[in-house]
Amino acid sequence: MTPSRRHFLMGAAALSAAVATPEKVRAAIAREVAAPWALATADLEGDIAPRALRLIHGRAPSGLEGVLFRNGPGKFRRPGGNATHWFDGDGLMRSFTLSDGDVTLAARFADTPKRRTETELDAVVTPGFGTPGDSRARIGSNDDANAANTAVMVTGDKVWALWEGGSPLAMDAATLATETFVTLRPDLKGMPFQAHPRFAPDGTIWNVGTNGDQVIVWHLQASGALIDARVLTLPRASYLHDFTATDRHLIFVLQPWVFDRAGMPFSTQFSWKPELGTQVLVVDKTDLTRTRLYELETFSFFHLGDAWAEVDGTIRFDVAANVDNTFAVEGARVLVAGRGVVPGEPSMLKLVTLHPNGRADLTSSGVTAEFPKGDPRRAGLERSLTVHVAGERGGRPLPNGLAVQDWKTGRSHAFSFGDDQIMEEAVFVPKPGTSAERDAWLVAPSINLAEGVTELHVFDAAAVEGGPVATWRADVALPAGFHGAWKG
Amino acid sequence: MIPFALAAALALCAPAAQTSSITLTFDTDVDTGAIMVALYDQATYTGGQPVRAVRIDVAAGERAAIFEGLPTGDYAVKAFHDVNGNGRMDANPFGMPTEPYAFSNNAVGNMGPAGWDRARFSVDGATAQTIRIR
Repeated sequence: MTPSRRHFLMGAAALSAAVATPEKVRAAIAREVAAPWALATADLEGDIAPRALRLIHGRAPSGLEGVLFRNGPGKFRRPGGNATHWFDGDGLMRSFTLSDGDVTLAARFADTPKRRTETELDAVVTPGFGTPGDSRARIGSNDDANAANTAVMVTGDKVWALWEGGSPLAMDAATLATETFVTLRPDLKGMPFQAHPRFAPDGTIWNVGTNGDQVIVWHLQASGALIDARVLTLPRASYLHDFTATDRHLIFVLQPWVFDRAGMPFSTQFSWKPELGTQVLVVDKTDLTRTRLYELETFSFFHLGDAWAEVDGTIRFDVAANVDNTFAVEGARVLVAGRGVVPGEPSMLKLVTLHPNGRADLTSSGVTAEFPKGDPRRAGLERSLTVHVAGERGGRPLPNGLAVQDWKTGRSHAFSFGDDQIMEEAVFVPKPGTSAERDAWLVAPSINLAEGVTELHVFDAAAVEGGPVATWRADVALPAGFHGAWKG
Repeated sequence: MIPFALAAALALCAPAAQTSSITLTFDTDVDTGAIMVALYDQATYTGGQPVRAVRIDVAAGERAAIFEGLPTGDYAVKAFHDVNGNGRMDANPFGMPTEPYAFSNNAVGNMGPAGWDRARFSVDGATAQTIRIR
């Protein structure tokens, strides 16, 4: 057969499709080679017995005594099947104990029914936020799927490992040994107790748990004892990971990521409908039937800062706002894959203002941010400072530093470790005998990627730009945690 | 021959088939109320009426149920512990059970009741199971 022009062109087209271009090679390498940040979602195979950390920089601040508890997923992969989303790994409770200038690290997995089943089967089988699971799952109640992996709340000599779809899991604060799921009242057994309780100026604790457009509002004593629990109906069945509160109000930010259909994994129940905009429901703490609804432009979010109400009735709070849910659905999946390009934009720190006239607006700090936290002495009260992780950007999916936003001056005070470090959430620890907002330490771990180990840093809240005042280094790397709590 | 074969079959099988029994012992966390136990065969397990049912008076110290004179075959059990004795299986405001329930084999379902494949067990003669109901 004489090759015709047409045959030749077809052959050339086929050839060019088959030959790898430099771009394709680079993309393929990026997909196949573990990303530099892959330690963030590496598996930890077992508990970490208490071990001393080594001071490698600065001096231990005098008067800083206490324990930083942190929770986050610590194991994703088993021979018979993996968790495929960052939010679905087994809860790993860590404690960094600061005493007499020394730091001791310990970590234990939450001994959940999910982990027991999956250890026995040698496979991750339980559906979660983004992990489909399979037919071998054993789920008789929501707590059988409870990963206890998201946050931690300190109550007396216990820490509660929190997960947004189920009960708190009590663990011993000293040994991190798992005890039992907490039932706050027999008729409320299994009701969800989400990962972001809010602490009120009167010393009590508020929290929520959702099911579609229904939300249970929990009100607890500092001891963890139940004061009251009520169920409210929200105007919209949004995906709600966090709420916030002033001294007088509960605040629900209702993003346009709304319930659409039943099914698992959980995230598949929601559809992103940007045309709906974002709503904010403010509820009076003393009368949950008294509500006010505000309208805002579309954004997605996971985390809010503590809110406050001003004398004229203006309410403000910060939010780590994103343009859409791409990271939540796709980005967090690629993070566990540990290779490739993580889709989704970094979130931006913004301030929501709810005006007495019913108008609402959103002011951007212009700084990328996650995990906003404030001075615990001012929880629910007016404040100006918000500490958050920073430095996340496209191509580098996790933060590399810490920043303090001063909403009064509009300035951001930031420190970056550079891309050799993955920065984790900081807690705000007041200096003993002080009351000013800046009189605090910021305590946070990071993963030092160059050294392949976890570090613990203390910053002075008044001088974050100067970097840590003290850094201790472990001889082991723990995967990145989500949220922490300080026990002084 | 046919009547003889039938008679022989009846003689061999029928009396034996009616002599099986199941003893179920329940391991509870609380000492109040009663455990409602329902026994099913494959035909009735999903949505049908139980072939037998019994109430165990936990408050009176009972912990076991015995089903006697059962045909040899496969069975499965559904049980719930009416801890407060109000006659029903209570649920929380989101509709999830707040009182203990269990299935034979201590089987756990997959976002629902344990299926027949997980809860079934063979009964031939005297059979016993301990079920944790917590």
